[in-house]
Amino acid sequence: MGGIKPPFFMNNKIPNFVKTNQFGLLILVIVFICIFSFSTDGFTSRFNIYALSRVVALDIMIGLAMMVVILTGGLNLSLGALGVSAAMFGGWCMESMGIPISITIILVLAFGSFLGWINGFVTVRTGVHSFIVTLATMSIYFGFMTLLTEAEAFRKLPEAFTDFGSLKLFNKYISPLLIISVLTCFVLYYIFKYTDIGRKLIAAGANPDAAELSGISVDRMFIYCHMLSGFLAALAGIMLTARIGAAIPSMAGHLGFDWLLPAFLAPVLGGTLLSGGKVTVFGTMLGAILVTLINNGLYLIDVGEFWVRFFLGIILLGAVLLDRAREYFTVKNSIVS
Amino acid sequence: MSDYILELNNITKNFPGVKALDNANFRLKKKSIHALLGENGAGKSTLIKIITGVYNQNEGKLFLNNQEKSFSSPNEAMNAGISVVHQERNLIRRFSVGENLMLTNLPKNNLGLIDYNTVAKESKKWLDIMELDIDPNTIVSDLTVAKMQLCEIAKALSLESKILLLDEPTSSLSPQDTKNLFALLKRLVAEQDVSIVFVSHKLEEVFEICDEVTVLRDGKNACESEQITNLDRQKLVKLMIGRDEQIIKSKKNIDFTEENLLDLQSINTDLGHKNINLNLKKGEILGLYGLVGAGRTELIKCVLGLDKINSGQILLNNKEIKIKSPKDALEKYKIGYISEDRKKEGLILMHDVLSNAGITVWSNLKKILSFLNDSIVYNKVDPYVKQLEVKTPSYQQIVSNLSGGNQQKISVAKWLASGTDILFIDEPTVGIDIKTKSYLHELIIELSLKGTSIILITSDMPEMISLADRIITMKDFKVVGETINNHNYEEMSSSIMGNIHE
Repeated sequence: MGGIKPPFFMNNKIPNFVKTNQFGLLILVIVFICIFSFSTDGFTSRFNIYALSRVVALDIMIGLAMMVVILTGGLNLSLGALGVSAAMFGGWCMESMGIPISITIILVLAFGSFLGWINGFVTVRTGVHSFIVTLATMSIYFGFMTLLTEAEAFRKLPEAFTDFGSLKLFNKYISPLLIISVLTCFVLYYIFKYTDIGRKLIAAGANPDAAELSGISVDRMFIYCHMLSGFLAALAGIMLTARIGAAIPSMAGHLGFDWLLPAFLAPVLGGTLLSGGKVTVFGTMLGAILVTLINNGLYLIDVGEFWVRFFLGIILLGAVLLDRAREYFTVKNSIVS
Repeated sequence: MSDYILELNNITKNFPGVKALDNANFRLKKKSIHALLGENGAGKSTLIKIITGVYNQNEGKLFLNNQEKSFSSPNEAMNAGISVVHQERNLIRRFSVGENLMLTNLPKNNLGLIDYNTVAKESKKWLDIMELDIDPNTIVSDLTVAKMQLCEIAKALSLESKILLLDEPTSSLSPQDTKNLFALLKRLVAEQDVSIVFVSHKLEEVFEICDEVTVLRDGKNACESEQITNLDRQKLVKLMIGRDEQIIKSKKNIDFTEENLLDLQSINTDLGHKNINLNLKKGEILGLYGLVGAGRTELIKCVLGLDKINSGQILLNNKEIKIKSPKDALEKYKIGYISEDRKKEGLILMHDVLSNAGITVWSNLKKILSFLNDSIVYNKVDPYVKQLEVKTPSYQQIVSNLSGGNQQKISVAKWLASGTDILFIDEPTVGIDIKTKSYLHELIIELSLKGTSIILITSDMPEMISLADRIITMKDFKVVGETINNHNYEEMSSSIMGNIHE
């Protein structure tokens, strides 16, 4: 029969998980957990694990929001500004307009997707790299939001909403926010693996010319990716609002900068190719966990704020080198004829 | 003392799972043009990479001027006087010709800045040797493909290379440019003391310029340094593929008075096509012949909606249609396009076989909520992948790891799976080995017999004459001739070339 083996799912062979990037990450995560458990007091305390779960939840979501744009070979620098703008919009809906929580969430997600659509539309129509486009929209979104809110926070949010942010599950170890993030990972994995649209997004990101000539509307796919990014960033914004119990313009730093480092680190550590065409949802999740762990562990060791930033920078550089190595090996493999 | 400039004895090279070369020999005489032939995967590229220091052999020895050598990097090989001119251009497109030629050794003035006068003067010297009339200050991207190729050779000469490896140098050249290139190569051998290794799939060329032939098959020598005068085409093909070549001819009777399936009427485009009229009958193979740059691929891309059509109309079954994008063409009108550039436009090299073969059918196969899993796609594309005898260890194999022939088969398979009525096939056999080539020829004829209408673009005249039912000749973005093909090579080729050179 032609000599071609059927796909692995038809002959019960499990793909070699051990060889994957995710496996390496998992090992790293475990190693760091061990190191920090033994070397610090309170790393495994209920309080710390709960705090970790709240932070990790957000980092995962931010990482995913960046991942879906990196898929196109692009970047979304406006991620933080967009997320905060959406969150402030949500705060206004609930506090000033008295719109119910569930409807507010839908509106906020729609608003985030709309801001993402602007990023995508401008990128596709102008042909300018999304790095530049989102650099501009970052400033526009943040500036506009500050103007409208007069830099005032919304602090009188409905209790049901803020209570959710401080809810403790599983014997008070885990925040429900983490469950949302993990569920989101599963949904995204499903989309990329088991839907027509997900396959098209990946194909368009990997080789736009070939995808276009194979009957895929690449422009539309790129816009979808940016919309998805906006959606996820808005979701992250809502989660952060619930976590701190208020919608504050500066909650992701000036222009949303505080989100950028985890946004890059998680997907790149996770194995998403910066040149596009490859996503790893669970890799991004593990990447986010690793970043949060290191962050948290270093604080507990008490090395000081600046050292933490220093280390995260080093890790980002290391991750980028890893990305280069991945590309190199892809090319190297293809040399053998 | 032997008169060999380069000698490789009993070379063996292992890759995980494959023996790419198995006791292969290769001897290059001084001042000769030596053809290195073989099917894709026979070990040609591996041998070249050993000569140029990209790989090291596991066994065997390499002698350069009777001295044993071992190159640990391409740079070392280059310094020893061995240069490769690749299929893919190695020039920096935004730099000038002079800068490219002098790149590794840019002359500097007293201030340590680049001395552009010397760059121009030095590079002019090499261009003159090649009798090339190019201003060294021209930017490379402004040159024609043929001139770029020649500049690459000039660059190799400027590095004082004594051995030139040419890998498919004519694949993107017109017949005239090819002729010029060959004249130049002969002159270089005679005057500049250069020896040339010539790799090509076009056997006519081998007979035209080569002195000796080495053929590899499955990593072994099928023949070694055979005089070209002792061989003919049949013998050579037999050496390469291990059996006789099958000559394929389309024997069909198309009724040209029948209604047109696709009809382009006075099309003018943004890219410069002027008043293009052509029509396609059901089940016909319509050939579009022309030199590189005649505007054939560009015309197809305009029809697919990738570039703008300014005036004129496209009729499908006598109804006017507007194709906005390839997606439109595929989904609304069942028109597909097999690209000439399989690496850039035909395939997603970093993805696996299954997703490349299935990309055109995802939309049709999706279930509720856009659900689609691998096994649905597999069931759809597997018959076509099998039919085309694609050689791959599994559907999870990354396409860039497959040989050129198998890659091409996949880019054909995905369009077979999509079940289009009209297929535009662009240069289907460039850089493809003979076995796969004749296989693809059979397939194209079979498709048309089953009712698929095909517009075939090829610059390979024998291919055109054996496949097409009717041949349209294009030149400078215009249609300059139309002939019904009688499959007689001499008559047809002279009629077509007559159209072009009118």
